[in-house]
Amino acid sequence: MKKTVPLVIGMLFGAFALAEFYIPHHQVGALSNEFRSWAAILASSAFIIGGINILQVTWPKIRRREPDWGYKVVLLAGAAVMLLAGLPWHKLGDAPTHPTVTFGPRLPAPAPGEPPAAPAVFVKVPADVTYQIGATVGAGTGRLEVVRVAPGEVTIKLSRRVPGYATLETKATLIERDTITVEGDPPMMWGRDGRVFVWIYEHVFGPANATLFALLAFFVASAAFRAFRARNTEAALLLGAAIFMMLGRAPLGGAISDVFPDFAQWLLDVPSNGGRRAIMMGAAIGAIATGLRVILGLERSHLGND
Amino acid sequence: MTALPWIDIVGYWIGIFITFCCLSFLYKDNPFYKLIEHLFIGVSVGYLIVLQYGENIEPKVVDAIFGGGVDGAWLALRVVALVLVVMMFAKVLQPRWAWLGRYPLAFVVAFYAGLQVNAVAQAELGEQIKFSAGSIDAPKVDLNHAEPEALTALPGSSPAIATKWIAERAQRPFASLDDAITRASLSPLERGDLAAARGSLVGLDAKAAVSPGHHDGFGIVSNLLLLAGLLASLVYFYFSVAHRGPIGGISRFGVWTLMIGFGASFGLTVQGRISLAIGRAYDVLGRTLAPEDAARVHGPLVSLVSIGLITAGILIWERRTRDRGEGPGADGES
Amino acid sequence: MAREHWSERLQRFDRRWIFLVMAVAVVVPLYFPLGLPARPDPMTKAAYNAVEALPTCQLDPVTHRPVPGSPRCARVFISIDLDPASTPEVEPFYRAVVLHLKRKHAQLVIATTWYQAPPLVERYLRETLDVAIAPAGTDGYAGAPDRAYERNVDYVNLGFRDGKGAIIQQFGTDLRSAFDGRADDGTPLDRIPMMQGLNKLKDFDLIVLVSAGSPGAKEYVQFVGTREKLPMVAACTAVSTTDLAPYFQTGQLVGLVGGMAGSAGYENLVGKPGAGTAGADVLNIANLVVIAAIIFGNVVFFAGRAHRRRGGRS
Repeated sequence: MKKTVPLVIGMLFGAFALAEFYIPHHQVGALSNEFRSWAAILASSAFIIGGINILQVTWPKIRRREPDWGYKVVLLAGAAVMLLAGLPWHKLGDAPTHPTVTFGPRLPAPAPGEPPAAPAVFVKVPADVTYQIGATVGAGTGRLEVVRVAPGEVTIKLSRRVPGYATLETKATLIERDTITVEGDPPMMWGRDGRVFVWIYEHVFGPANATLFALLAFFVASAAFRAFRARNTEAALLLGAAIFMMLGRAPLGGAISDVFPDFAQWLLDVPSNGGRRAIMMGAAIGAIATGLRVILGLERSHLGND
Repeated sequence: MTALPWIDIVGYWIGIFITFCCLSFLYKDNPFYKLIEHLFIGVSVGYLIVLQYGENIEPKVVDAIFGGGVDGAWLALRVVALVLVVMMFAKVLQPRWAWLGRYPLAFVVAFYAGLQVNAVAQAELGEQIKFSAGSIDAPKVDLNHAEPEALTALPGSSPAIATKWIAERAQRPFASLDDAITRASLSPLERGDLAAARGSLVGLDAKAAVSPGHHDGFGIVSNLLLLAGLLASLVYFYFSVAHRGPIGGISRFGVWTLMIGFGASFGLTVQGRISLAIGRAYDVLGRTLAPEDAARVHGPLVSLVSIGLITAGILIWERRTRDRGEGPGADGES
Repeated sequence: MAREHWSERLQRFDRRWIFLVMAVAVVVPLYFPLGLPARPDPMTKAAYNAVEALPTCQLDPVTHRPVPGSPRCARVFISIDLDPASTPEVEPFYRAVVLHLKRKHAQLVIATTWYQAPPLVERYLRETLDVAIAPAGTDGYAGAPDRAYERNVDYVNLGFRDGKGAIIQQFGTDLRSAFDGRADDGTPLDRIPMMQGLNKLKDFDLIVLVSAGSPGAKEYVQFVGTREKLPMVAACTAVSTTDLAPYFQTGQLVGLVGGMAGSAGYENLVGKPGAGTAGADVLNIANLVVIAAIIFGNVVFFAGRAHRRRGGRS
């Protein structure tokens, strides 16, 4: 039950995944798409479980005041803030979805011989709001601004340049001499597209993620001096190819001579591709063998021990 | 453009400070680095859970089952997926229910294995064998008769040049390569690109001719080397025969081919890693912002302040750990 | 007691000095650039040619809608699979290729399979699609200007879906069910006119992959590209270039832009130098530092070995 049923499940679905490649019937395709959706759902759930696991592992360390427990508090606090910011709190209230458009008194009729007065749109929005009235885009000032438009249907949009705010949009149909006043303040949103969530992503997650990887640049320079030795022919070939590739792929190599970029490309096209292709084929045979072993139930390590 | 809100300017300052906290690890492991490391992990966990739920679980499970997104037999199938999700979560709630997690795991592993088998068989094995089994001949492209795709693929060429060549050769066939690259309909820029791509080894002279039946000698040698390298590398990975004598020699050639490939990979890896550092330098110095925003953020100044604060902090921390008798524990040699 | 040989002293060199040299090599060229042009390699040129070969539709200058009788607008699927760490290498390509596609008035469908990407994707859409990247009169740009695109009219953002190879395969068989029939902002795909006839990847004229790792270009090639014979152009990190180059050679990818240098080459071809070109300039000095480190390290190593073979006498 604990191991036999999962093996049978594996055999059935694995065999289906193998066979559906060769069966063009649309129902088989639809069923296959449904199973792919299952795979996507379970992959997402696995991520969520991993996240919960980290929190489960961290909390006892704080309770027991283990070394560096203070940092674990920061970890939990960061997770908590992100989870709270990711909830769509703005849906609890009645946030506006359109700007307020009020028709005002019509402009005076033009004198005989004068062209008709174009409709006027009066805009009053906060200083950090961008308005778009038809094709005219402008920045709010907090004071009343006026935009003249052509008669007809005009699209009115209010937005903020930073992410996390709703865009207020509406349309108005105007004829000559019409005046309207547009007011509005795009409300802040919460949730995964919300202000706080995206702010933390851009100013905490992003820089930390990028810098932690950027450390590798320094370590590779250190390793180049301390560890990369041409002890034998093979190592010398490796280092030689690396040096030519570095020179050839940077603009400096091309500036010195066309030989460097051409040779770097030849290195990629011939020896590198030859070796890579052999590795690819070998890995493919290995992947096919392992896949068949999993499907046939010969490989059970992923199911754990009883 | 409206001005950047002050909270976002503070955000950029925080990002710069975080950058230098992470970089302080290069000196040694220290509280600033540890703080940012843990903050990053915590924020990542929260981010991950929100995103995976919102972008995958909500539309595919919650909306589909409870929001009427699917119906009929497909609804029943989607409910089965929900049951599998619950089984996955069971082991998180109660360790003695961990065996329930095997059911969804078995499905995922086996289903992916089945998809993978067909995918790699076709893309990694079939296509690669088909290419490798092709002719090693490298015929030159006949400018007077070749298809547009072949003309476009020549060094220095482009779809626009190919179109012009086709029109030109219909009026008057090309007498030589020099004739082809100096035709009147080509713009000076196009002529310059073609002239820059001349070369008898890998350039235009090697790949193109104005009559059929010419071959690229260096191309043929390269194709031979490519095939030889592939076969020798495959021999190297074949361990059922002892690598002695002729087999040993071929295997050694295979190793050399692999080493050159790894060297190329290493060279590109170095470039890739350096690019990451360049990217951070760009962000920190405000080069990715609009000039008016960069002027308000003062990236270089904030960088110096951050470096100063972190340096002072590390010095104080080192003195305190020395006073406590724990030793500085320099990381310089690890 | 025999004096320590200079090679042995250097073997114990504090690596933090190397970190400092590397930092200087990265920062100083930003203030004193060499200004060397980034020459596009053949794989990058092939990618450019693949985009250039797309039809350019004629648009009504007032409504920005295709003029009846003109060539159909190219429809391109862009998969943006990256994280903040990989943006220096592939983001410049993304900005250059979007400008290239907008010059052709191509209709774009954007998606991602990386969970780290969605906020980045939203920022890219705001900065490259909702506004013109290079309007008329842009300094240092002589190419055709582009215009602001309208969401759900000229481009659609489908959003993020997880599932690695399986979900990518579903893009190839039924794109709409993969995204549950809705764009990322909740708009039903059936109500978006430009999505008409776009049900799977084969319906697109070109697939552009901005790929920082796995899942990415490799999975697209394995799970859908080879089977459906899709025309695919990929930009990848420098690390992945050797892994993907065999696919370019076999034609499974019609173009490959590798790393920051490749992105710089593409910017050069499009005619709008940006972060890639500037970054490639810095690469020159940093690469020389690493090469010098390798050579000097080997000199130290061989000098030490020769000294030891001579019996350790100085």
